[in-house]
Amino acid sequence: MILAVADAGPIIHLDEIDALALLSVVDELLIPQTVYQELEAGMVPPALETIEYELVESDTTGLGVELDPGETAALAVASERAAVLLTDDLAARDAANDRDVEVHGSIGILVLASTRGELEKSAAAELMRALQTETSLFVTDAVVEHGISLLDES
Amino acid sequence: MATDLTERVQEIAEARGIPESEILEQALERGVEDLWVDLVLSRYIDDDIDRETAINLIGRDRVKRAEQEVQVVEDDVRWGLNA
Repeated sequence: MILAVADAGPIIHLDEIDALALLSVVDELLIPQTVYQELEAGMVPPALETIEYELVESDTTGLGVELDPGETAALAVASERAAVLLTDDLAARDAANDRDVEVHGSIGILVLASTRGELEKSAAAELMRALQTETSLFVTDAVVEHGISLLDES
Repeated sequence: MATDLTERVQEIAEARGIPESEILEQALERGVEDLWVDLVLSRYIDDDIDRETAINLIGRDRVKRAEQEVQVVEDDVRWGLNA
């Protein structure tokens, strides 16, 4: 049972490679209102309406992090509900690790989708490459290839 | 894509007041630099070169950043395979 809370990063990045539906590979998905409002400031990806999620309020009081509002809200919800934080922001990952909150990102979702039979391994590899070439995800080419080699070896 | 690139080269050249040929030269230099960094990082991650060599070739910040990225990607892949 994977309960996960997403900030805007994975939603945007997975949508940019036409793979947003794969977010439904987690068993229960939470999206903080703050994150949804951030998406609305641009455009809520239409594909988001094809997956099930729950909009939730967040209480960031006393969290003491210097992150964007959406990342802060997602971290607060993950911490409060013992959920996996889904973020592609390195600073948010560090903040989550500092607070013993399990944290993963878009690449983890692609691999999980492959493991759960939603994607062929080769398709997951291609989408990992697309994350690097078609989105603003942090990873360099060499690191993505390293991740793909780990997936291939499994 | 080719049209986009042509239009962007024209716009950059106009904005900076320098010839399009100079913009293309700068673009080539930046592109080759990026590819060179990718190659060095790939060799470092694959253990074909050691850390000090990688740092000498592309700088400590880039190597440290790549190490952080590797840790994150390895963590994500392990989770995806085992969750």
